[in-house]
Formats: sequence, C-alpha cells, structure tokens
Amino acid sequence: MSNPVLVIDQLVVERGGRRIVDGLSLTLAGGEIYALLGGNGAGKSTTLFAILGFLARSGGGLTIGGQDPATAIEAVRAQIAYLPENVALYDHLTARENVDYLLKIADCRRSRAEIEAAFLSVGLAAPAWEQRAGSFSKGMRQKTAIALAMLRDTPLLLLDEPTSGLDPAASADFHALLETLAARGVAVLMVTHDLLGAADTADRIGLISGGRIASEWSAQTSEPRFDLNALHDGFARVR
Amino acid sequence: MNRALTIAGAELRLMLRSRLALVGIATLLLLSAIAAVTSATQMAAAAEMRAEAQAATDAQFKAQPDRHPHRMVHYGTYALRPVGPLAAFDPGVDAFTGTLLFLEGHRQNSATFGAARESSDLVRFGQLTPAFVLQTLAPLLLVFLGFASIARERERGSLRALAAYGAGAWSILVGKALALGVAAALAMAPAFAALGWAAVQQPGEAGIAALTALSYGGYLLVWVLVITAVSALAASAQGALVTLIAAWAIVVVLVPRAAAAWVGVAEPLPSRVDTEFAIAADLRRIGDSHNPNDPHFAAFKAKLLKRYGVTRVEDLPFNYRGVLAQEGERLTSQLFKDYAARAAAIQNAQTETLTTLGIISPALAVRRASMTGAATDLGTHLAFLAAAEAYRYAMVQKLNGLQASAVASADDAARSKDPIADRRTRISADFWKTIPDFDFSAPSPGERAGAMAMPLAVLALWVALAIGLFAFARRRLERAGL
Repeated sequence: MSNPVLVIDQLVVERGGRRIVDGLSLTLAGGEIYALLGGNGAGKSTTLFAILGFLARSGGGLTIGGQDPATAIEAVRAQIAYLPENVALYDHLTARENVDYLLKIADCRRSRAEIEAAFLSVGLAAPAWEQRAGSFSKGMRQKTAIALAMLRDTPLLLLDEPTSGLDPAASADFHALLETLAARGVAVLMVTHDLLGAADTADRIGLISGGRIASEWSAQTSEPRFDLNALHDGFARVR
Repeated sequence: MNRALTIAGAELRLMLRSRLALVGIATLLLLSAIAAVTSATQMAAAAEMRAEAQAATDAQFKAQPDRHPHRMVHYGTYALRPVGPLAAFDPGVDAFTGTLLFLEGHRQNSATFGAARESSDLVRFGQLTPAFVLQTLAPLLLVFLGFASIARERERGSLRALAAYGAGAWSILVGKALALGVAAALAMAPAFAALGWAAVQQPGEAGIAALTALSYGGYLLVWVLVITAVSALAASAQGALVTLIAAWAIVVVLVPRAAAAWVGVAEPLPSRVDTEFAIAADLRRIGDSHNPNDPHFAAFKAKLLKRYGVTRVEDLPFNYRGVLAQEGERLTSQLFKDYAARAAAIQNAQTETLTTLGIISPALAVRRASMTGAATDLGTHLAFLAAAEAYRYAMVQKLNGLQASAVASADDAARSKDPIADRRTRISADFWKTIPDFDFSAPSPGERAGAMAMPLAVLALWVALAIGLFAFARRRLERAGL
C-alpha cells in the first residue's frame, strides 16, 4: 500500500481503567473505504476518538498523513473531516451559514460558487441552502456535512454510524456520496452497524471484537463483492 | 484569535435569532433607558428643588428684620445636601439618609426628608437607576444569555465537532466570552450613556466617570468569565443554569443584605433615640447655663470676674449673657461633635468592613466604587453633616459674639420689661446679610478617586479569580481532548 493516509499499529486505549481498544491495527490508503463493524462497546467510536485526539492512547502507534495526534494534534485534525452520528450542524444557521462558519473555523477559504457546487454535487437542492438546519432531515444534514467535507478536501473522512436513522433510499444516496469522495482520493473510515450498507460500499470490512480487529474481509472485484453469509455469521458471533 | 472571533460571531448570531435572548436584551435595554431617563429627571428635579430651597432659606434668613441676636440663634436656618455630581447614575444612599438639616442654637438636629421616608415602599426595595440595572439586572441577563454557550455545544455533540475542525479549547472559551462581552457592552450602553452625559455636563467629573465605567466593566467582566467557565465545566446546560442562578442570588442579593445585617450586629450603631437620651444625660452633667447655681457655670463666671477684676457681671466690659451663651454652645457643640464623631467612626468602620466583604461578593465592591464615584456614599453624607455642623457652630457663635459685643448688658437684662431697652438690643437687619450662606461641595474628584482605590482593588482581585477559573475551564476542556 503506497502512502497510507491512516496507520494504526497495535493501538491501546483505556477508559476508566478498562482497555477498550486493545492492540487494534489498521492501515488505510487514499481512495479506500473501510467499514468498521462491531457490537456496542466494542471500541469502534473509541478508535475514532483516538484518531481525532479526543482520547489519549495508552500504547501502540497512530499516524494520520505521517503525523501523530499525540504530538501534532492541530496538523492531524486539519487532515480529518469528521461526521458524528448526530451531524453537528447549528440549527439556527442555514446550510450555507453552517458551511461558511465551519470552513472559517477550519481556516479554509472557499468561494460562494465552490460552496454551491459542493451542495449540488451532494444533491442538496438550492432551496435548502438558505434554510435553517433546524428544519433539516438527517439525510439533508448529512449531505450538508459531506459537502463540507468535500470543500475541506481532507485526505481522511471519519464517519460514526452515518446511516442510522436513514431510510433505505437516503442510505443509498449517502453511500453513493462516499464513493464519490473515495473516487477523489479520500480515505474513508466508517464505523457502522449497517452490514448491508457496508457490504455495498466498503472496500474492506473489519470486525472489531475484544478491542481489536478479529476478522477482515476485502471486496471482490466481481459481484457479489462480499460473502454476506460469512459477514453475517462473523457479525453474529461478536455480538 | 480569528477562530475566537468567528465563534463569537456565530454565538451573537444565535443570540439575535433566539427570541428569548432578544427579548432579554431588549428588556434590559429598555429598563436601562428608562432608568437613565427617570433617574436623570428625578435627580435634576431634586437638584433644582434643593438649590431653590437653599436659596429661599438663605434669603429668608437675610431678610429678617432688626432682631436680638439670640432670637436669630433660635430662628436658625436650613442646610440642604446638594445632589452628588453623578447622582443621576447612582443616587446611592441619597434616598435613605435625609437631605435637610435645621441648624439652630443648642441643638444638633437629624437630617430629614429622605425619599425612602417620603415615598412608597418601592423606594426601599430598590430604585430603578442605571447603577441598579448594571449591578443587579445585567448579571442576571448575562446568566440567561451565556449559561448554555458551551454546555449546549457539549450536549448536542458540536463541541467535539468544533474541535475536529481545528478550534481549540482557548478559541472556544474566548469566542463564547467575547460574544457574551458584546451582549454585556450592549446592556451597559444606556447606563454608560447616562454616565457619559453626566460627565459632559460636568467636565471635571470625566475622570471619575471613567473610573466608574472601569469598575462596572470589571464587574461585568467577572460575570462574563465566570458564566463562560461554568458553562464549560458543568455537566449539562441545566446544571450550569442552576449553578449560575444560585451564584447570582448569593452574590448579588443575599451577600450584600446579609453583610449589611452582619456589620450592623458586629459594629452596632446606637439608635437615634438612644443617642438623644445619652446626649440629654450628658447635657445635664455639663450643666445648665441658665441656672446661676450650676457648678460649672458658676465656676466659669467666677473665673471671668477674677480675670477682669470685678465682682459683678454687669461690670464686665462685655455682655456676660453673650459670653455665657458662647460657652454653653461650645460645650454642647463639643458634645454633639463627639457623638457625631463616634457615630461616624462606627459607620465608617461598617463601610470598610462591607468593602472588605467585597472579597466574597463583587457586587459589594462595585456598589462601593459606584457610590463613592458618584459622591452619593455614606462618607459624603457624613462630610455634609460635619460641614453643616461646622457652619451651625460658626453661625451661632458669631451671633452669640454679637450679643456679647454689641448688646449692652443692662439693656439685655431689662429688655423683657422695657420696650426701649428691648429696641436697643436689636441688631440691624444688615448684619444678617453678612453671614455667609451654607455651601457644601462633595469631595473632589481626586479625593473620590482615592476612596475608590480599595473597592477597585477588590474588583481587580475578582477579575484575577475569574481569569483563574477561566484558565481552569480551559485545562479541563483540553484534558477532554479539545
């Protein structure tokens, strides 16, 4: 794998004296979509928080674009777009104002035309641009957030349960957007319970158990991309 | 800093788009404007009324006909406390201390005509003045505007998202505090305009007005920093609100009242009735100048007769009655002065204790600084009482001296039975015009600035403590990965 965006090597993260992540290793290249599956409390979100520098690691190695969050948190965060489960838009701001605001926070200058082009590319219709996010469905919020990620043009996108609460059509739209981003060279790490969605989109699927990746599957070049029975059995075992 | 400004802009936009915040800000602005206008109007009317009354009473005194000097001692005059230079901003104790003193011989009267005694009970509750709005209502508005500023972001998950976009704990805290600071500045605007207007009207007060503005700026800065820090430290927005409301109630409402009650118990001031009884008892001990057998005055007479080598008061080269009145006035006035000094010492000690207690409530410190700057504090009232007493003593002794030097002893003795002698004891009305008018000036801006040093130092301490809490909140956020 040439120039990996994310390298996790034997990562250990403890919370409240308990090892939540225990020896997790994962490498992710640009343009790759990786779905991290696992039961509740398996350490999926903890892994994301460690990558973002919200949690300090107790052991192992972790770099994003060659930078270690323990020593260069600002440089690391500048390379990551992060979508939490409840997309954190500001309800009192319109879609455009949200994007403007968060781009300014990220110290990223984009023209009005670039922002509108991003909205259009994620399928956010023009009337929604000036609507306050408080009136948005989860799908619309995610589209806005993905547009923001595209505008930031970061090499790594972290997603935490992105399709929970989405109807199948919105979920399919969302996965299509991820493929668009991956096609632009963005590495996507997605934490999810959505087995089918992951199988539909991901290049690799890792099953986390006991704080480490217990099983991993890579997509086949021909359909079906994954052996759904094997995935289901594996997932059922760790739950 | 750019990120902090961006966060501040978004927070201000939230305030502008939140009906609750808008209604709160609009209400405070309205209250501030009403307070500024009504207080300025009331104080201008009071200043005009007192100046007119002082001029009228001075004119009445000067318009008295030919009279025996001792009649004028009892006729007396009035002293009205002038309105403090910045009283429109902070009337201070003006409503509670009385503004009118009747000045006469043999007696030291209490000040009367305090607005709290003359008006409805609402005056006792607290007048709506720019100072009241800034001290009491502005912090409450800031609590409602700022309690959720960071706690809300944490609850909805956007705090970590902000951090993921590159905003550090410092940017978030400073940005939120800046937005609240802008709201505070907006809330202060009408009150500060009133202060500025007073300074424009009296250019000599500009420096004091600036110091007063500085003290309120420091006070509200404490609130802004504490509110933002508590919002960052609290587990939930509701927890932050409960904590801050409790802090407001304790700091602004409870502590000032409890502190005032406590200093009243710790350093009790004798009641006016007790003081009057004590003075009356002491006066009896001093003696009665009208009683020829009174030991003190009998000794005084004997000493005088001996000094002039005569055996009868009628043979003295002056009117003994006038000199006797001077001696009586000297003794009683010294007594009044001693009692007043004791009362002033207790009141000053109470004020100093209250200022020291400002360490547990910045509201106490800002009140002291504000009233001192406006020359509406207890110290200025005590200075007025002292000036009025000095004026009374000088006027009465001048009249007594006139009796001693210009009224013949024989005429004085016969005037109750002999109308012609009585006429001769009367002094020309022209003399009353030579007695200077009562004139009291508040402590100079320099003196008031000096007196503001202690409360300003206490406020500076509070600002330092608030910055410490702010820094602690930053460390906590950073430890949480922000």
